[in-house]
Amino acid sequence: MRAPILLLAAAGLAACSTVPADDATQPVALSFELTSAGRPAVCGKPLGPLGTAKTAAKLHDARFYVQDVALLDAAGKATPVKLTQNQWQNGPTALLDFEDASGGCVGTPALNTAVVGMVPPGKYVGASFTVGVPPAQNHSSVEKAGAPLDSAAMNWSWQTGRKFTKIEVDPKGGVRKPDGTKAPTWFLHLGSTECAGNPAKGETALCKRSNRVPVAFPAFDPATQAVRLDLASLFAASNIAKDQGAAVGCMSGPTDADCPPVFGRLGLSLETGLPVEPGKSPAFTAVKKP
Amino acid sequence: MRAARMLLLAAGLVLTGPVAAADWTWRLPDYVPAPRVPTDNPMSAAKVDLGRRLFYDKRLSGEGDIACASCHEQARAFTDGRALSPGATGALTHRNSPSIVNAAWHATYTWANPALTTLERQMEVPLFGDDPVEMGVTDANKPKMLARLKAEPLYPPLFKAAFGDEAEPISLANAIKAVAAFQRSAVSFDSRYDRYLQGKGSLSEAETRGMTLFFGERAECHHCHGSFNVNDQVIHVNTRDAEIQFHNTGLYNIGRDGGYPFPNRGLFEFTAKPADMGAFRAPSLRNVALTAPYMHDGSIKTLAEVIEVYSQGGRLVKAGPLKGDGRRNPHKSGLIARIDLTAGEKSDLLAFLEALTDLTLPTDPRYADPWKQAQ
Repeated sequence: MRAPILLLAAAGLAACSTVPADDATQPVALSFELTSAGRPAVCGKPLGPLGTAKTAAKLHDARFYVQDVALLDAAGKATPVKLTQNQWQNGPTALLDFEDASGGCVGTPALNTAVVGMVPPGKYVGASFTVGVPPAQNHSSVEKAGAPLDSAAMNWSWQTGRKFTKIEVDPKGGVRKPDGTKAPTWFLHLGSTECAGNPAKGETALCKRSNRVPVAFPAFDPATQAVRLDLASLFAASNIAKDQGAAVGCMSGPTDADCPPVFGRLGLSLETGLPVEPGKSPAFTAVKKP
Repeated sequence: MRAARMLLLAAGLVLTGPVAAADWTWRLPDYVPAPRVPTDNPMSAAKVDLGRRLFYDKRLSGEGDIACASCHEQARAFTDGRALSPGATGALTHRNSPSIVNAAWHATYTWANPALTTLERQMEVPLFGDDPVEMGVTDANKPKMLARLKAEPLYPPLFKAAFGDEAEPISLANAIKAVAAFQRSAVSFDSRYDRYLQGKGSLSEAETRGMTLFFGERAECHHCHGSFNVNDQVIHVNTRDAEIQFHNTGLYNIGRDGGYPFPNRGLFEFTAKPADMGAFRAPSLRNVALTAPYMHDGSIKTLAEVIEVYSQGGRLVKAGPLKGDGRRNPHKSGLIARIDLTAGEKSDLLAFLEALTDLTLPTDPRYADPWKQAQ
């Protein structure tokens, strides 16, 4: 009886000494940018050329959630950034938003291009984050959750979860479908799949394919550098002028032929929903701030 | 020992408390256990009353042009008579509009979705869905929609009665709860078959023969339609662990490897496992005579044709892009075999299925459009 109590106490102490909540006094802002072949990707302006067919395109939507933002020390140890709680940040999760609802974009006028929070003072040399929403928040009701998890656009009701990414482009000339018809938009909706609830326990769901993308930069200075998601890099292996069946583009369907190229650029295995090499996501790079 | 018993007692109270404590009583035959109700959305008469208003109100949609009732008509046991239904933008749903009747007992919702286990979460699909758009609610138009609800003089007192302990009772979250409560209240156990079970009526000779076939080992309908709700996914207050089954009934066999057409590949859309190709939830057959057309995609027009397909052990699609012999679908449920029913057996089965029609539900004023009733 005595041993478990001691263990419990030790565990409690360990938890306290690693992340003392009150010690997080050093502000940190992790900047993100969305580009297309290195140039800012914004609503209404031409993107591209994108993909294997070098297709000109315009932005339609560009939002994604990140979770578990952390700074890394020289040994690679991660110290979580305690996120400032506001309309863009909820618990460990933040929504980044690169569309302003203008020029053919759907969405909201406001933009959000940085994650802000506090860390305990220390010597940090790198940064990491994961594209996604943690399971405990992912399956909350969009009508009950606080911002930014209350976005109906980012809701993925059929999997009772969230779209981790809502990245959509309108290729010039449209997307040709296998049946000969055309669709205006190529969708990249990343989210956890093969989810199932337990009816005996109410609103819970577990997903077999996580499809969360961990990204780590061992050498990264938030003061001078930004995280870049480049659309030309993301779609480098995709033909966005042509859809090969199932959802137009990739909505994380495990058998959708349009998913493997873009999952590859994200560093994810479509089959398992796990990273191919944790921390490595080719579409994300660290760049000098403009 | 005593503490344990008290805990047990407390647990029992928590489970049944909200239902029993509120002004809500389930009026059910003795062969029907009470449904499981989410603890954060207990039943109440006020909530059901509000939910009925909202169910029939087009203002509860993105542009105020479509209501739940648009695809769920009482006279058709809350289905809509169409194969597929147009949403707010005119785009068709992927699947056939299912009944809301006795949905309180479903373990999962829609035709095949293991992730949707409550009516509250199911409702987010038609409200917010964008592939296709059904009711068209978006982040942009939601404030206007709530303003429309607040402007209706009946709503503030109704929301207050149902959610009076909240500072701002009029919210979409509460609207969802109220509609879910109304749907749970839509119970149907007054068919000729129920009256027979309750000793209040009898079945004809043809209906009785049909019932014997239905529950017997010749037609074997009962494997997937054997519960009190005439389906096989049921959850109720006493359920400890729900069995969640989906079945391929041999409707398609595209490319001879068992293919069903996207995006209607059933459980496969979730799991990508070949074995789950074409696997759908067996619907309740209560009121089935009122709910044509049939199957997940509304592709069979009459009940007689449905019986014919099951008699043949699946469906042969002779031509077109969906061509294929569903009877030979490699993923077809082992419970679906060619049984070559005689003409007499088919008409007996049809007679029994028609005896599952509720005699009062289609016109019951408790479920009718309140906006058309005298105040």
